[in-house]
Amino acid sequence: MTDVTQGNAYVGARAPRVEDGRFVTGAGRFVAGVRLPGMLHATVVRSPIAHGAVTRCDPDAALAAPGVRAVLTPRDAATLRLPCISTAPGQREASYPVLTEEIRYVGQPLALVVAESAAAAEDAADLVELDFSERPALVGAEAALATGAPLLYPEWGTNLVSEFVVGDADAAAAMADHVVELTLRLGRVAPCPMEPRGTVATWEPARGELTVWTSTQAPHLARDHLAGALGIGCDRVRVIGCDVGGGFGAKEHPYPEEVLACLATRRLGRPVTWIERRGEHFTSTLPARDAVHRGRLALDADGRFIALYADILSDLGAYPASVGVNPAAVSALMLPGPYHFDQAGAKVRAVVTTTTPIGSFRGFGQPEITWTRERLIDEAARGLGLDPVELRLRNMIRPAEFPYPSRTRQSYDSGDYAAALELVRDRVAARAAATPRDGKPRGVGFACHVEHTGMGPSAEMEAAGINAGGFEIAVVRMEPDASIVVSSGVCGMGQGIETTLAQLAADRLAVPMDRVKVVFGDTAYAPYSGLGSIASRSLTVGGAALIGAADRLRRRILAIAAHRLEATPGDLEITGAAVRVKGDPAAAITLADIAAAAWRGRDLPDGMSPGLEEREVYDPPANVYGYAAHAAAVAVDPDTGKIEIEGYWAVTDCGVVVNPTIVEGQLHGGIVQGIGMALTEEIAYAPDGQPLTTTFMDYLLPSSPESPPIEVELIQVPSPVTPGGMKGVGESGVISAPAAVGNAVAAALPHVAGRITATPLTPYAIWSVSRDG
Amino acid sequence: MTEERLDVEMTVNGVPRGARVPARRLLSDFLRHDLGLTGTHVGCEHGVCGCCTVLLDGEPVRSCLMFAVGAAGHAVTTVEGLAAPGGSPSPVQRAFAECHALQCGFCTPGFLCTVTALLRDRPRPTDDEVMAGISGNLCRCTGYQNIVKAVHRASELMAEAE
Repeated sequence: MTDVTQGNAYVGARAPRVEDGRFVTGAGRFVAGVRLPGMLHATVVRSPIAHGAVTRCDPDAALAAPGVRAVLTPRDAATLRLPCISTAPGQREASYPVLTEEIRYVGQPLALVVAESAAAAEDAADLVELDFSERPALVGAEAALATGAPLLYPEWGTNLVSEFVVGDADAAAAMADHVVELTLRLGRVAPCPMEPRGTVATWEPARGELTVWTSTQAPHLARDHLAGALGIGCDRVRVIGCDVGGGFGAKEHPYPEEVLACLATRRLGRPVTWIERRGEHFTSTLPARDAVHRGRLALDADGRFIALYADILSDLGAYPASVGVNPAAVSALMLPGPYHFDQAGAKVRAVVTTTTPIGSFRGFGQPEITWTRERLIDEAARGLGLDPVELRLRNMIRPAEFPYPSRTRQSYDSGDYAAALELVRDRVAARAAATPRDGKPRGVGFACHVEHTGMGPSAEMEAAGINAGGFEIAVVRMEPDASIVVSSGVCGMGQGIETTLAQLAADRLAVPMDRVKVVFGDTAYAPYSGLGSIASRSLTVGGAALIGAADRLRRRILAIAAHRLEATPGDLEITGAAVRVKGDPAAAITLADIAAAAWRGRDLPDGMSPGLEEREVYDPPANVYGYAAHAAAVAVDPDTGKIEIEGYWAVTDCGVVVNPTIVEGQLHGGIVQGIGMALTEEIAYAPDGQPLTTTFMDYLLPSSPESPPIEVELIQVPSPVTPGGMKGVGESGVISAPAAVGNAVAAALPHVAGRITATPLTPYAIWSVSRDG
Repeated sequence: MTEERLDVEMTVNGVPRGARVPARRLLSDFLRHDLGLTGTHVGCEHGVCGCCTVLLDGEPVRSCLMFAVGAAGHAVTTVEGLAAPGGSPSPVQRAFAECHALQCGFCTPGFLCTVTALLRDRPRPTDDEVMAGISGNLCRCTGYQNIVKAVHRASELMAEAE
């Protein structure tokens, strides 16, 4: 074992990931690999029409098919609903039905067929006889507000779900020397973790207990919602989170399919599994973005920002689902980014349409508003004849101004925004200068963002309409042999949290990392977490809780050692496998001796209870704010409109970096997701509400040739809020990437720059704009 | 009406294996569920994502696009069979872990199989050959940069071992 001394041996180290051993050997435990004796397979029958109602649902032919054990129809699930995690002002419903005969999007679940094999279930799904009455489809947020638009909920009298203002409403009309106005569109995209969603549910009647294996970012939230929907006590539901093959927001709450699988196992008394097909992902897993922004930036004659305003129109799809309007609210809250404005504000409106409900996706409203703000700034610079980096630097919040209250109620905790932007500019300038002489227009674009991370103070979340606490709990236990178990409410989905939590624990306890085992994901033993691993909070909030618990445990270990060595705790240090008196190597006691004594309840200081386990609840006093400055270099093929990204740079501040390799990896992946959003990815609908992108052949994820080399640099301005100084970073990469790419394309095509406003910038879109220009 | 079943036998990771399965059983499902080798993952079932890539007589194939009966009599290597007989990881497996070329680990088995075949055919690949070689496998986590790095690193490890 490596000898390590107390403090900071692991924080900042490029520690190899503890997860990788099982993943490179095929030993990961993903939900689709869970097989239980007697397990049945479920397939969802989905609506082929966008809008209308089921007038007849006859399961008899399906029930008669070989191997079929049950068909659940809306009548079987009439009262089952799932709750919204957040609700917005004016929102009429705070929950949504699991199965209903009222149809509002293609792909909506209408029935569940359960059979002895997946193939038998799929064969029989085609035999469920359905008749419909159809109503006109409604596609597009602007169409939803048009006079005479079909109403999804006639009783509401409107398709508008919510309307509210954040910050300065007056920013819309601020007078200034220069005003730039753009209408910007954010396409609808799908999170597309490589592992589809899935569930295995088993009801044990004799125990009255439901056990659910599921691919989830939030096991306790899944448990609470499933228990609530099914009317079972939380104490009778156990959710086991499994290894999660990517989440990106898509797996932060249970969906109707999970509830139906649970309902089926209760009816049938046999385990039931449902595994999402990729085609289903595009119509049943909640997509994201999908907004129209009318943005307005006002500047004085010197290029000082006077006012920023955004009119945000969000397409929610068929109903406000789990997070509903909240991504659009976050767009509004993060509108100002890293700049000063005399006034900044947004109006948010959210509407329903006959499309799949939208939900969470890495970035959560922030890539959208960053696109709008940073595109406006570049067009302002172009209009004023200013360098776009210079214009940004002129308006940036300076280090001495923290904590900085934004015009939209955010209190930025720390950062050095200008330094990061200057650094990224230097990196771009230093690149190999030889430009190919191929006649392609080329451009470099910059974008910056402040990222809302570490959600969050529970009281503040209540005020924001979020129905969950934002705290985390960590439990750290030293076992009788001095090995250490950390249990946490956050969980792993590829972000390496199993490794970084082990680094933090090993560091605080001054033991080798291989003595630490991190466990999470199973509600039977993980401490409660209301949110799980979402919102760039796992290491910030979960890590802060762990630091608190580990520090308590260390104090307890030192107190026992002091008692045994007849020393004072202040004179002691932990060195890997023992506690010793500083400067006197002979006076030492092993951790194993201390642990054995603690678990046998002997030789302890007077009044100390037996055991060696500590627990910490950390409810953050404030959110913490990360920052990044990005740059992209692009070339445009004038004949096809295809954009090639030739270079990409990111300078990121996520406070204290626990594992730089992991942070860089998170940024690479996020940036490429942002590039996908900028260039190729879009869930498209025909006017009749039929989805046009239901496979990986028409929904185009970036593959290796489309993914540029990315240079990442980390600057560390520790958060004064978080114990440990961390800020979240999981979402950072995706936030500025679309805007940096968009600004680069606009720089390459300055004659049509004002029309580079909509994602994705497909070859056809660019070709059309260039030709018209 | 019961579905007709066929005896399907093949060599998997050097061991003769067999099961009686319906004719329409996919090779991916056969490996995962009939043989219990769940390291091969299924990400799209339409042959694009490459998560289910295995080696059939040494060549990468999409096991979701192939019936098990089609592989009868052939030799299949899955991620579980990439390590050396003693269990020590192959150069490709080592390089992926060393270079942080995986995050969630779901696409990883497919990449490992693809890259194993790529490096057998091109022991010292250029950047372009690596890009082309892995272009049929999707990863949503890494942005590919570290995967490219890992392919080169595996190439080095293989050269060192010779």
